[in-house]
Amino acid sequence: MFLGNLASLRYFLPEFAVTATILLLVVLHVVTKSPRSTASGFLSLLGVGAAIFLAGVAPAGAGRSIFEGMVAHDGFAVFFKVLTALATLVVIFMSMDSRDLAGRSQAEYYIFLLSTLLGMFLLSSATDIVMLYLALELVSIPSYLLAGYLKGQERSTEAAMKYVVYGATASGVMIYGFSILFGLTGSTQVAEIGRSLAAGKATLPMLLASVMVAVGFGYKIAAVPFHMWSPDVYEGAPTPATAFFSVGPKAAGFAVLVRFYYTVFAAADPGTGLWRLTSAVDWPFLFAALSALTMTVGNLVAVKQSNVKRLLAYSSIAHAGYMLMGFVLLSSAGIEAILFYLVVYLFMNLGAFYVVVLVSNATRGEEISDFTGLGSRAPFAAVALSIFLFALTGIPPFSGFIGKVYLFAEVIHRGVYWLAVVAALNSVVSLYYYTRIVRAMFFEEPKDASAIPVPAVSGALLVLLVAPTLILGVYWEPVARIAADSVRMLAF
Amino acid sequence: MLVEYATVLVFIVLGAVTVALMLGLQRWFAPSAPSAVKLSTYECGEVPYGSSWVQFNIRFYVVALIFIIFDVEVALLYPWAVVFQRLGFLAFIEAFIFIVILLAGLAYLWKEGDLEWVRTLQDTPAKKGAK
Repeated sequence: MFLGNLASLRYFLPEFAVTATILLLVVLHVVTKSPRSTASGFLSLLGVGAAIFLAGVAPAGAGRSIFEGMVAHDGFAVFFKVLTALATLVVIFMSMDSRDLAGRSQAEYYIFLLSTLLGMFLLSSATDIVMLYLALELVSIPSYLLAGYLKGQERSTEAAMKYVVYGATASGVMIYGFSILFGLTGSTQVAEIGRSLAAGKATLPMLLASVMVAVGFGYKIAAVPFHMWSPDVYEGAPTPATAFFSVGPKAAGFAVLVRFYYTVFAAADPGTGLWRLTSAVDWPFLFAALSALTMTVGNLVAVKQSNVKRLLAYSSIAHAGYMLMGFVLLSSAGIEAILFYLVVYLFMNLGAFYVVVLVSNATRGEEISDFTGLGSRAPFAAVALSIFLFALTGIPPFSGFIGKVYLFAEVIHRGVYWLAVVAALNSVVSLYYYTRIVRAMFFEEPKDASAIPVPAVSGALLVLLVAPTLILGVYWEPVARIAADSVRMLAF
Repeated sequence: MLVEYATVLVFIVLGAVTVALMLGLQRWFAPSAPSAVKLSTYECGEVPYGSSWVQFNIRFYVVALIFIIFDVEVALLYPWAVVFQRLGFLAFIEAFIFIVILLAGLAYLWKEGDLEWVRTLQDTPAKKGAK
């Protein structure tokens, strides 16, 4: 049952909050004399905070299809809305603190950031391929602008250019896949397409379509072999934007990936928590191969990196690989593990990037050599970064470990042993390059031993990011329960 | 289901054959006597000068974008006006919100000076390329 346009409005409040904030930012930019004023940052904080509140406060219940079937309002969508808005909130704080962005026009930056957030909201709830495509573009286009925001810096412009070319190609291939699906089924509704495909037999066009759509989604989550753009973009973009790309759009990409493939090419078996394939296309195997490839390439290439931003870019590719493991299992527990991992990943990855921002504010560099002796120059930041890096590796008692336990347990439970072995080996490789930074911070002599000041506000935010990373390592049950609820409510 | 794609296949084959035929036939029949003048780039019958990789003023692009936004606005308001009587006051509010959002954009353009062509021509270095 679809709700009409007017009846849908009251389930669309978080989106309204973000849209209103974007418009207010435009007005603010027009009326203020100084474009460098921090007012726009605070306004964005307010808007995103309101969006989180509005998304989280109203339970989705059994879920409903709103705007004539364009968008779903269910627990799954709400989960991702809160998650991506939370990431945006942290990134706004980081941006207000970053020296890269100081002295540039502020309002436009936040307009791009919030437009991307709006796109992510829609992407995680779209149930119609037209809406889905528009949402994906709404995530992509402001992202290109964010990547090139450091106008006049060659690296940033290059990043934006590469991002545009890659993004345009991927989205072109994806929409071709959509057109094949539409040709096969005559519907743009994801659920309807799923039902038609289950009845039909056209294996070859279906395989083609599923692979083409995978290109578009794979590009968004930066899965190998569609990852080429990400290291250059991550390196060239302003660091807060990089942090944002590595968490926000990636999470939204996973949301749409799960929703699309589990609706179009699979159906739930009631009561068992398992799903079965409804078509002859063996996409779980395809994605299992992608997953193994993604984490291996991400980790092996990360070993050679000397720039911390590039290193974290490859590490985030590897993490997409880990999360893809949960995607291929066709079980609710697998999706739960992805959702839980995304929460954990949000805090540890944003935290790591935040320390990079703080260090590069002082040293004007992001090479590993800029981090030498950080243990004595800024002990608190160094300890925090170590915690984030160990969590990213997946060492107990940090949150990353619990995230990995959920993923690995479900992979083994479903009997995909080879994938578990590949992932375990990869974790060992990742330990090497994460600890390389830790070693530089604590055991190498810095060229310049002067203390790096960490302002009180930055310190407080750092504590707010460290705390979940530590707490979720020992007491993760509430978050795991929310993740489980969000999967159960996945309504199609 | 696959059979329905036969039309597409026929199109692809016909397209490929036509191109191959045209190129092949002209190569077969046409006499080949190249000269320096013949091989030069055709530019409206003039003697070509300069490279085709001139830098254009990015303003052209901005103006085109502004045009498209307001073009779309008009394109949407025409059908809206036709069925306005039937939709009633609600349609008025919807169109009002839509136009207000575009107005905010217009105010932004104004503030940024994107509506003033002459002033910007004076202080952009791209003047040379845009001759």
